[in-house]
Amino acid sequence: MTEHLLTLALRVLIYPGALFLIFLAFLYEWVDRKFLARVQNRYGPLYTGPSGILQPFADFLKLLSKEDIIPAAADRLLFNLTPIAYSTLPLVALLVIPIDGGEAVLAFDGDLIFVMFLLTLIVVTVFLAGLGSMSRFSIIGGVRAALQMLGYEIPMGLALIGPAVAAGSLSITDIVRWQSTGLRWLILLQPLGFAILVCCMLAELEYVPFDIPEAETEIVAGWRTEFSGRKLALIRLGKDLEVVLASALLASLYLGGAQPLYSLPGSITFLIKTVLVVLLFTFLRGVFARFRIDQMVSGMWRYMVPLAILQVILVEFGVGR
Amino acid sequence: MDENEVLKELKTRLGDAVIEAEVPRKRRIFVKVKVESFRESARFLVKELGFKHISTITGVDLGDSIELIYHLAYQGSIELSLKVDLPKREPKISTITDLIPGAILYEREVHDLLGVVFEGHPDLSPLLLPEKWPKGIHPLRKEYSLESIRKTLFKG
Amino acid sequence: MIKVPFGPQHPALKEPENFTFEIDGDIVVAVKPRIGYNHRGIEKAFEQRTYIQNLYLAERICGICSDAHTTCYTQAVESLLGVEAPPRARYIRVIVAELERIHSHSLWLGIAAHEIGFDTLFFYYWRDREVVMDLLESISGNRVHYAMNTIGGVRRDISPEKVSMIKKGLDFLEERMKRYIEMMKTDQTVLKRTEGVGVLKRRDAIDLCAVGPTLRASGVKNDVRADDPYAAYDEIPFNVVTHDGGDVLSRILVRCEEILESIEITRYALDHMPEGMTRVRVPMAVPPGETVSRVEAPRGELIHYAKSNGTARPERYKVRSPTLGNIPALCKMLIGCHVADIPIILAGIDPCFACMDRMTFIDLRNGDEWVWTMQELRRRYRND
Repeated sequence: MTEHLLTLALRVLIYPGALFLIFLAFLYEWVDRKFLARVQNRYGPLYTGPSGILQPFADFLKLLSKEDIIPAAADRLLFNLTPIAYSTLPLVALLVIPIDGGEAVLAFDGDLIFVMFLLTLIVVTVFLAGLGSMSRFSIIGGVRAALQMLGYEIPMGLALIGPAVAAGSLSITDIVRWQSTGLRWLILLQPLGFAILVCCMLAELEYVPFDIPEAETEIVAGWRTEFSGRKLALIRLGKDLEVVLASALLASLYLGGAQPLYSLPGSITFLIKTVLVVLLFTFLRGVFARFRIDQMVSGMWRYMVPLAILQVILVEFGVGR
Repeated sequence: MDENEVLKELKTRLGDAVIEAEVPRKRRIFVKVKVESFRESARFLVKELGFKHISTITGVDLGDSIELIYHLAYQGSIELSLKVDLPKREPKISTITDLIPGAILYEREVHDLLGVVFEGHPDLSPLLLPEKWPKGIHPLRKEYSLESIRKTLFKG
Repeated sequence: MIKVPFGPQHPALKEPENFTFEIDGDIVVAVKPRIGYNHRGIEKAFEQRTYIQNLYLAERICGICSDAHTTCYTQAVESLLGVEAPPRARYIRVIVAELERIHSHSLWLGIAAHEIGFDTLFFYYWRDREVVMDLLESISGNRVHYAMNTIGGVRRDISPEKVSMIKKGLDFLEERMKRYIEMMKTDQTVLKRTEGVGVLKRRDAIDLCAVGPTLRASGVKNDVRADDPYAAYDEIPFNVVTHDGGDVLSRILVRCEEILESIEITRYALDHMPEGMTRVRVPMAVPPGETVSRVEAPRGELIHYAKSNGTARPERYKVRSPTLGNIPALCKMLIGCHVADIPIILAGIDPCFACMDRMTFIDLRNGDEWVWTMQELRRRYRND
């Protein structure tokens, strides 16, 4: 019994849990920054570590040591709690996704619904963070984040459900296992669902063209304008973890997840797939301009929602399972 | 229409109101009119001759009077400088924003820097000078040197 | 109805100015501009300095269109003196002015891309802008303040080797610009953010006395280079680019196509540059008189008025930069737009607030003039 608890604690805290995920978060931030820089004809991080690979970690440490300012008008409770919540929520969600080939750390039946709930909760946290800062830019940013969610939440939910219907299970571990029998990768069976989920994840991550809640030239840094020091460090970490979560979800649901392939162990295939998804995100955010909030919401409802419904209907009728 | 024709039109129409008129080179005209007939000359130039574009308004402190120069352009080409003299003690003139809406900021600028009051202007609040700038100090007037402004503004 | 202040410090404004918006929901219903945060008292300073010193002051009215201001200034003083720059100098003025226009427009296009969140394009434009900056550096020795113009001509000649170098640079730029224009025209996200945004109707543009690309994007064929030619523009054939949309997209396209037009003008000027002197000796004393000088700066019509009184210093010198002329039109465009569109519309007129403001000359805190010696600077930095 104690041995079991100890293994669980190790798995939650170290590998493939918190510590490993935070390491991944920094690594993927570097991948993202470096690749975006190359897309934009820049060098990106260069000096900290080989090719600047330690730069995200250095930034994190630097922010930890910076002055932590709380605006006089801010709601102190919300202002203090939201950064913690924002960095923990994606971490929790990542625990139900299988990373090292076997079962996820906290796998249970219906954990896909749990992840969807957490994704929504992240946006609620963002909204509360904006509201709690009590600055014009933050409030506008928070409201925009919530408004944007109205646009992408439905298609995202439908795109997450597609694989579950195909695999006949609401557990992510089961969906991965279903795909690994005979290489039935769902990206091949449901390409439409994959495209929709990529779009919605760009919106969830507040990446161009959906970086409306933190549009620099319009509302400074949006909902996180007022955060500084430790809180900003946590928010940046949370954002990086969210990137890991988004790429892990896409890899698990549509790309076969952490399944051993030829002689490669599951964890390595998982890493390769998630890095590919991160590169896809980065490329997409390099080649677009930002939409306006009304254009984004109406576009989502006009194109994404019908397409997502179409995909689910197709799956129901047996196409793509 | 070239610059000489414009000048002829002006002289026949406005007659005695024109004090000085000069064509220094191609596409440049300098005309000085009496204050009383400024409004009429401006209306004639803008509405009938088609000087629809105002480039700017220059104010010059001439010692005991303030000279306003309206730089009007005809189809972007002929630049006519319409001058009018105002008494320095109480510089007042009617606005031309009803004729050319684009003059709105130029009049405010002259109001700020030289203290000319434009009657009928919708909003003569300070445009360039800071909010706390003392009333009655018009920095572009000759009697204010850099030192004197500094002294008035920051006693002690 | 809420009031939202925009500036003096705001990421969409690269320079400090203040606009107060009254907003109903997401729609702007009223705008009140408050300018003057950048006033440096240049008009008053002109009256305190000699004509030669003023040449350097005119150069520093603006960082981006520095050549336009000195061209305008030297033309004014030359007209007061009754001299004219020699033909070769006038062609060199055209070449520098057009290269400056290319540099200014590509700078603006980059900023416009940044304002709509398209940072990749921003980096590409600014990388290619380096090419034209290098050309300007090879001609004048400086990247920003070229100091090419002097009263009575230009300071430096353009040698035949440089001519071929400039041509090579222009070929490269032309190819890149054509690609970018094609991209701007077809990219859906760019079109979504710029088409029909910040519309300025032709009538309003004329009534509100808009100038430059802003006016031409509303379908008005107006360009000081063509209408009131100066330097060598009367001998060079070129088109005045106009677009009828009156929206931000039209302003982008006008500037893009003007870059191509500028490349053509520069090529023509390089080929047809007459031989001869680059400057003439001018008399020392400026006789009393007055003059109006106009130049088409990258941002639009620039007008200088000079009045001399026979002494070594001007009696009155007036500068009106294009940005001030476009502010009333800008306020008109902003009414009825979405809050998210404010930055791109504001940027749409290519505002240069340093040009626009020229007046405050005293630091309100302690009344010091901002002239610091190197020692003072050093002392200050050590203490802090």
